[in-house]
Order: sequence, then structure tokens, then C-alpha cells
Amino acid sequence: MPRIGPRFLGASHLQTTVVGSYPRVSDTPEGQRLRRAIARWERKELSDGDLRKVQVDVLQEVVREQAGAGVDLVSDGQVTWHDPVSHFAAKLEGFEIGGLLRYFDTNTYYRQPKARGKVRWVNPITVDDWVAASSAAPSSAVKAVIIGPYTLASLSANGPTHDLLWDLAVALGNEVNTLAHSGAPRIQIDEPALTRAKSLPKEYDEIVDTLLEARGRAEVTLFTCFGGVGHLLEDLEALPFDYLGLDLVQGASTLEALRKRPLEKPVIAGLLDARNTRIEAPREVAKRALALADSVPMDRSWLSPSNGLEFLPRTKAREKLRVLVSAAKLVREAVA
Amino acid sequence: MKGLLTTTVGSFAKPDYLQKARNRHAAGKVTDAELAALTRQATKEVVEMQEALRIDIFVHGEMERGDMVAHFAEAIPGMRTGELVRSYGNRYYHKPAIVGELAWEAPITVDMWRYAQSLTKRPMKGMLTGPYTMVEWSFDEHYGSRKEAVLGMAKVVHKEAAALAKAGARYIQVDEPAVHTRPEEDFDLAVKAMEVVTKGVDAEFHTHICYGDVPKIYPGMLRLPVKQIHLAFKNTNFDLLKLFEKVPFDEAKELGLGVLDVHSHLVEPVKEVRDGIRKALKHVPPERLWIEPDCGLKTRTPEEVRAKLAVMVAARDAVRKELAG
Repeated sequence: MPRIGPRFLGASHLQTTVVGSYPRVSDTPEGQRLRRAIARWERKELSDGDLRKVQVDVLQEVVREQAGAGVDLVSDGQVTWHDPVSHFAAKLEGFEIGGLLRYFDTNTYYRQPKARGKVRWVNPITVDDWVAASSAAPSSAVKAVIIGPYTLASLSANGPTHDLLWDLAVALGNEVNTLAHSGAPRIQIDEPALTRAKSLPKEYDEIVDTLLEARGRAEVTLFTCFGGVGHLLEDLEALPFDYLGLDLVQGASTLEALRKRPLEKPVIAGLLDARNTRIEAPREVAKRALALADSVPMDRSWLSPSNGLEFLPRTKAREKLRVLVSAAKLVREAVA
Repeated sequence: MKGLLTTTVGSFAKPDYLQKARNRHAAGKVTDAELAALTRQATKEVVEMQEALRIDIFVHGEMERGDMVAHFAEAIPGMRTGELVRSYGNRYYHKPAIVGELAWEAPITVDMWRYAQSLTKRPMKGMLTGPYTMVEWSFDEHYGSRKEAVLGMAKVVHKEAAALAKAGARYIQVDEPAVHTRPEEDFDLAVKAMEVVTKGVDAEFHTHICYGDVPKIYPGMLRLPVKQIHLAFKNTNFDLLKLFEKVPFDEAKELGLGVLDVHSHLVEPVKEVRDGIRKALKHVPPERLWIEPDCGLKTRTPEEVRAKLAVMVAARDAVRKELAG
């Protein structure tokens, strides 16, 4: 552990959160009830309502599992999502859903949307799941997560065209509005595609203004993962988000940029490797967190995995949560 | 005439009795010996089906394999078998982990190859999963560097390929469906790994690439040191052939032309397959053009497999007849 000086004092409040997805099955027969239910639903042996019951049951189990591990701010695990892209596109008006494509450099696939004209928000997309999650944990401890306009446009067949980006700013802004008015205190906008952008998309600051226009009192995070955003840090900090979420494992290159240019804005520091079953020692993670203390305001920041935990088997995701919570505790103790 | 040889990509549908026995074996209700006997019986049926359909180069059907990565992970020292992770939608697979130094102790696929080859006079392909895919579809808890892990795995796959060649396999297929995961970052590594696998092994090497952004690795894929590159064409209605309009296919390589959509229940009309072969002949001459399904056939029922392969052979025969004039 590095020597603790006054500059670390802020870390005495360091809290923990997750990024979003969580394994929805495990290797036990009971742990695969959602998988079986979907198979039966596909064969028309199970009604929509009965499938929803199983989904909510698993979603709430996932919420309790995260909260039970001691994570301060949890998610619904995205257990009802087919994938992070078509879950939104399929529920917006104006998209048709096409074939499977690789999701970034993962071994998972998403159904690629294609905009066939103007894209519009018609109904809430994530609110029911947030409400279901909030009844399994204190609602202040459950964040809502939605895809960002740049990532949805980039992963669609159209690409990030001016028209599509603006349609999505308005459409997803409606979702932010609905979540905020349903009482979600914290909303996360996932923009992993920004790690692949050389610079911020044109007019992105105005697009974000539109997206967040009706956020009310909700605190909003911009989360980037599957790579570094060191080259964008200054521009990202200037956007009207309350927190910046950073993948500091696959995007470890961001650490160098942070050393050169500390942030005023608090971060979600994704320091735990969410794509590898190797279980870190809590000390190792705590050390990395403490090393960040010169670069970010630790008193208002959060410690998290590098991205959603769904790329891991359930048992490993659970172990990672324990490491996360222990590491944050070590950081707080080191400071105290 | 020579050319337009037919083969398949590797896996065949498992018959019901075998699938049930595999499930019961997993539950401890069927012995290893009982399962092995049924696996051999199903393999024999796959060979007989290929004889009846007059396929040129055979596969053994992979009746003993569940997943193309897990099957090898179970046998390679340094790997631990995995727990379930999701691939997409409601699809899951057991993702293994590399937990120590990778090594090769004894042949993994040779006994089954020998058995299948003993059932026919036609050449039987050896079937391996490539090093890049093995690593990409596993967790790495040991090496901490993709390059080291992939090259370590390449040495293991090389020894298996050498064992197959020593046993008499003339054709060895090394599947690399994950090879385009990070084309900008990693393609040199994939090429290097294939060099390690094939170097000094006396056999004709084929590779099969599918799923994902194939155009991104063309013409780079021509650097892979193999005799044949097999790609899926039917699932894009042969649009992928347009790749060869800008950069012609390598004159020293064979093209494996996927002509059957393995994700569709529909049995293609002979005319569609014949037209596809004709289109491909504009880019690659018959001596270097092989006719195959798009991918492994394990997702289709045995009846669909039989019907689809019959169409493939009929279409090939029709084109051969035209060429013979």
C-alpha cells in the first residue's frame, strides 16, 4: 500500500457501484430458469405475462445478490435485454432490426438496427425494469442505465449520421425524462463507442444538452468502456454530466492522460477487470485506486468493475463483487 | 473432369439417441463405454450418409464434441473447463479458462479420426480448432498477454496436427471463426500462429472463417499459410464474392465456397446453388474451387442435412456437366 498523505483524505468516502449487466443464469438447474422460460416462450408454451414473471424474479434476485455483496449502487443486471443495442432500437419507432454482429471485441453479438426514416420515442423502455429492481433494494441504491445516442447510431447500419444522432438525442432524452420523473435518482448513459472515436462527434455537446434537458434532479453519468478515452478527457469533462465512467482496465491508457491532466469531475473508476475470470486481490485493486487520488476527486468518486459483469460466469461475477467491496473498504481504512 | 470437389465444414447433427445419451451421461446415468459405443455408431452413420451422397472429402461429424473450444479445453493441460456465459439472446456456452502453461501430452482427436477413416476409402479430414479462436473464446488467467497465449496455444495445435498427419490424415482443417475479432490489432498474430501450427506438417491445411466482419480481413486473410480458405457465401446470397472484384483471390490457394445456409430450415433449390457456383467460377477456376455448406451442420436436423447436401451435390454435378460441355 502506498504511503498515505493528506491528499488521500478524500478517499474516506469511496463507494462502490457496478456498470450494468450481470450474468442472468448460473450453472445450477435453478439458476437456468430464465433460459428455460425463454425457450418455452419461443415455442409458445409460455405466455408473455408468465415470461415476465420469471424475468422479474431473476432481475430481483440479481439486485439482491449485488446489494447483498455490499455494493452501494446496483443495477437491474439488464436481465431482460436481448443485447444492449436492439433492446432500445426495437422499442423506438423507425428502426428495423437485422442480423447479428459482434459487440465490440467481445464474444457476444447484437442484432443490428437500421433506421428506416425518422426515429421516435413512443413508450418507456427501461422504466418497468427500474421499478422492479427498486422494489428489491432501496430505490436510492438502484441506477437506471440506457444506451447513448452516439453508440446506438454507430452500431446501427446507418452509422452516426447527423439526422440519426439528433433523432436519438430527442428520443433517448424522452427516456431520461421518464426515468427521472419515475423517481430514478441516478441515470447512466452508456457510450462505449466513444472509445473508438478520434474526437467527440460534431455537435455532441448540443446533443448531450438535448439528451439531458429533462433530467430533473437525477444525477447522470457518462460511461465509456472497451477502451481508453485519454484523448477525449478534456472534452468529456466539459459535458454536463455529473460523473465520468472510465474503463481503466481495457482502457488503461486513460490512466496516463489522467496523470497529466487531473479531473475536477468525479469518476466511476472501472479498475476491476470485468472480462477476465482471474480474481484480483483486493489489495491490488485498492492500490490502483489509491494511485488515482492525485488525478480525480476521490471523495465523490466510485469504484467499479471495468464494464458489465455479464461476460463472466455467475460464480466469478459474485467473487468480483466481493473483491470490489473489500478493495473499497481497504481504501477507506488506509485513509482513516 | 477434375475440380469442384465437395466436402463439409465439420459438425453434423447429432441423432436423437446420441443427444439423449449425452444428457444422461452428464447426469451419470450412462457409462463412458456406453456413450462411446453410441458415439461410434452415430459416426458410422455420418460416414454412410456421405458415401450415399457421393461427397468427395469426408468429415467424421464431431459426434464426440459438444463445443468446438470446450472439447479441446477438456484435454489440454493448462486449461480448466468453464461455466456458462451468454453469447447472445438465449444462447450460452461453457467458456473455459487458461490457468497454467499450455502443453500437449497425447493426441486428442487421432483415435476418432482413425476410427472414422477405417470406415471409408475416401479421405477423412482432421478437424481442429485454431489457436486464435481457442484463446479468444477462453479466459486467460495465466499468460496476461494475448500474444503469448495464442503462440502457446499454436504449439499445442501444431502437435495435434502433426499427430493427425502421422496417423495418415491428408487434409487438416483448422477452424478460426474468431480470427476477425480485432483485425487491426491482432491479424499478424493470427497469421504467425497459423505458421506455427502448419510448419513442417505434411498435410493440406484448410481454414474455415465465419461469423462477423469477414470483409475487414480481406485481402489480409490471404496471408494465412493454408492451402484452402473456406467462407460462408450462401447467407449473403453470394454478395461476398464482390470482395474478389477489387483484389482477386490468391492463385495459389483454393477457395471453399459455402453454398448452403446452415441457419435456415429451408432446403435450397438446386438452381440457387448452381447459380452461386457459376458466379464463383468467374473468380476462381474449378480446380481451386471446393463446394461446401456455409458452416457446420450441427444446427440442422439429420433430415435437413441429408436434403441440403443432396442439393449441393446435384448442383455441383450440374455445373460439372456444363463445364464438360
